[in-house]
Amino acid sequence: MRRLVSLGLVALGAIGIALALPARPALAQPAHPLGNFSVNQAIGLDLYPDRVAVTAIVDLAELPTLQERPAVDANGDGKASAAESTAYNTRICNAMAGAVALRVDGDRVRWSVRPAGFEYRPGSAGLHTSRISCAFDAAADLKRSAMVDLGNEYRADRIGWREITAAGHGVHIVNSPVPARSVSDSLRSYPADLLGSPLDQRSARLQVEPGDGPSAGATIHLSRGDPVSRWVAEADRTLERLVGGHLTPLVGALAVLLALTLGAAHAALPGHGKTVMAAYIAGRRGRPRDALTVGAIVTLTHTGGVLVLGLLLTATASLAGEVVLSWLGIASGVLVAAVGVAMLVAVLRRRASVHDHHHGHSHDHDHHGDSHDHDHHGNSLSHASRRARRLSLVGMGIAGGLVPSPSALIVLLGAVGLGRTAFGVLLVVAYGVGMAAMLTAAGLVLVRVRDRWASRPRRALARLTALAPTGTAALVLCVGLGLAGRAALGVIH
Amino acid sequence: MRHRILIVGLAAILFIGVGAVFGLHQGESPNANTAQASSSLTPGQAPADQLAGSIARAQEHLRAVPGDYAAWAELGSAYIERARVTADPTYYPKAEGALRRSLNLRPSGNSAALVGLGALANARHEFASARDLAGRALRTDPYSAYAYGVLADAETQLGNPPAATEAIQHMLDLRPGLAAYARASYDLEQQGRLGDAAALMRRALGDAVDPADIAFCRYQLGELAWRSGRLDDAETEYAAGQAADPGYLPLLAGQARVAAARGHTIAALADYAKLTARYPSPGYLMDYATLLRATGQPARADQQLALAAAALRLFRANGGTDDLGVAQLALAQGQSRQAILAAKREWSRRHFADVADVLGWALHRSGANAEAIFYARKADALGADNSGYLFHLGMIELSLGRNGDARRDLSAALALNPHFSPLDAPIATAALHRLGPR
Repeated sequence: MRRLVSLGLVALGAIGIALALPARPALAQPAHPLGNFSVNQAIGLDLYPDRVAVTAIVDLAELPTLQERPAVDANGDGKASAAESTAYNTRICNAMAGAVALRVDGDRVRWSVRPAGFEYRPGSAGLHTSRISCAFDAAADLKRSAMVDLGNEYRADRIGWREITAAGHGVHIVNSPVPARSVSDSLRSYPADLLGSPLDQRSARLQVEPGDGPSAGATIHLSRGDPVSRWVAEADRTLERLVGGHLTPLVGALAVLLALTLGAAHAALPGHGKTVMAAYIAGRRGRPRDALTVGAIVTLTHTGGVLVLGLLLTATASLAGEVVLSWLGIASGVLVAAVGVAMLVAVLRRRASVHDHHHGHSHDHDHHGDSHDHDHHGNSLSHASRRARRLSLVGMGIAGGLVPSPSALIVLLGAVGLGRTAFGVLLVVAYGVGMAAMLTAAGLVLVRVRDRWASRPRRALARLTALAPTGTAALVLCVGLGLAGRAALGVIH
Repeated sequence: MRHRILIVGLAAILFIGVGAVFGLHQGESPNANTAQASSSLTPGQAPADQLAGSIARAQEHLRAVPGDYAAWAELGSAYIERARVTADPTYYPKAEGALRRSLNLRPSGNSAALVGLGALANARHEFASARDLAGRALRTDPYSAYAYGVLADAETQLGNPPAATEAIQHMLDLRPGLAAYARASYDLEQQGRLGDAAALMRRALGDAVDPADIAFCRYQLGELAWRSGRLDDAETEYAAGQAADPGYLPLLAGQARVAAARGHTIAALADYAKLTARYPSPGYLMDYATLLRATGQPARADQQLALAAAALRLFRANGGTDDLGVAQLALAQGQSRQAILAAKREWSRRHFADVADVLGWALHRSGANAEAIFYARKADALGADNSGYLFHLGMIELSLGRNGDARRDLSAALALNPHFSPLDAPIATAALHRLGPR
């Protein structure tokens, strides 16, 4: 009938290990953090120019400790004498030395084994856990470049935490795949991060060079970047805090202000090709109105994009945000490139039309108030090129807004998760407005500078200006291709 | 120009003002980032590699977006699934943390988190609380197949087969698949329809992709064969399961049972030693002890029972309640009075077939046969055609002098599975021999 209990429970799928002992946190006697039958191991490797040393720690949870009790208490008197403890310690260390293989350039080293301690520690339910320490030592020539392989097969089938650390002393480990210091303080305190899985590190391959130097890079994350990026990142975090915290009118206003500023900063920072839009406006002899149009479209696209992507990411966690961003990056780059092509085609056509037959102003007369805007070369805009120009403007705007600012996305998802969807949407709109403001301002400044330049015509400058449309179109095309290519690299990797 | 600046400035102030209005209306923060939670269950859904991948993805996603309650619930479910596949209970507290976090972020309308907490409650033998959680989840989302799954598991354990059957039917309608088929198969098995149960489990096997799921289905098919005494079929299924996923531990228990039934005692003991070293659950330790006792090694058997006692103590120290396990252990240790007390406590909580069986047998052991037969019959009625139940019923009938009934039930037990227990099957044979032909 016991069998039936387990049969029934296993049949019920999700509770298949109901007869196990699921640990419960926050009780007077804390269970072993990694379960009552875990066997946990830490291998600490120290590399010297002439030898390698390992400090191996085994932490047995309550049940394995009890299971091994007969192995410790050899004479069965219910006590673990000093001699019995040492004998057990030695046995464990010998077994472990046989299972911990270290190879220097493929040659396995021979360990000299020293038992380094065995003790019982209080566990839960009046039971004990064990802590067994061992020291292995072997000669090795690390005064030259070498490849060191470490593998730990000790009790490989047991459930538990397994970690490897490595440190060089007078020896440099190149791009160490393992940290230099134990994250669990050598199995004394296991990280209780909900977002981390237990370590299961069973092997490591270390490239060793002579000379001292930093030994491990695996756990260190330096905050890189220029002061502006750092400031933006800091502002991002502040905004996330504001969204999650207690909302007052002041905090709400501050959050919107911050979102506006972040949007502007997002537009100002290089890398998203937004600056090329300003060049476009200048190169196409854009009017202030064009700058505003692009700004409005950027806001709309960005807000819509963030909302749609946010919805998708909330609906499913199987969608990786970065991949989607990369694809959007490609789309944005292609769009910019397409606009560049359109500009180039328009420029070439216009050149042709200047030479072949003069286009009168007639086509344009129905467009009131636009005459001041006519091309300085005297050829006017045809209906078709006007529409192409509009389309280019819209395309530039969409391209600019298509790649959502990650921080806007994070703020939106955070707000949705907190049940403050409307507030999140408002902040996303603020992001878009901030971006649009920055782009529009840049566009306006450029228009102004160009006008001033153009109002003092000199021969050399005039010639330069004549070349400008072609140059700008080519620039836009190149930048678009570059953006798409960079985003594509992100997808491939 | 000045006008424009004025307009832009006014617009900005208005915009910022909208933010302030939000602050006015929303007030207190929904108390993010405090307590911890658990989540939803998807038995036999994601393949192992996919499972690891989805855990890593959810972890990464939540580091960036700690407020995403749906992702927290999904992560909690993935942890539960992981605990099931690897038999590593480390993931249970993690699952609870993730699910409670999800529930704190979104206290209402969060059915996924409630389903997950329900699955966790089932794993901790808190079946009544699991039923409540499933009910709450269904009030939020009446179309949650997984909530019906949790409800079915809880109702089964609480001794409410009609309610379990109904929940399973809902699950089959909403989301036919491995999880639903496996539960339906178990339901049929409880009704004694072993052939139909096996057919449905084969269908579940057809649906299984992940090695652990294939191993699970193969194990269940092996158990069904074992229940009807077909050793060869059982062995074939266990072997097929091991080929799919050598790490699926219940298969080892099945193989040990078959080896013991064939008289390959050394192999059986080796299997049990390996199994309990890796996974010292009270159930496996007691099975091991039974075989050790049957092969004349009482001292080693007592060692395993001491381990089972420690395991149960840990389970209790960690907040779990398993008086059924306590009663079974007390019986194995010959302490029938304690077994009666524990079994009665469990019976007051739930009317499950196993509980009735253990209570009846414990009463018989302390000589209260008149009371014992009531529970033994109850067990037989709740769980159809079980050799163990029939053996207990027959022995109690024998004690009461009802030789005809005893002959019938003991014969039925041996006819179902002549190897049902290394200790009890020989006793049944001997008793039948004494009774003689009718």
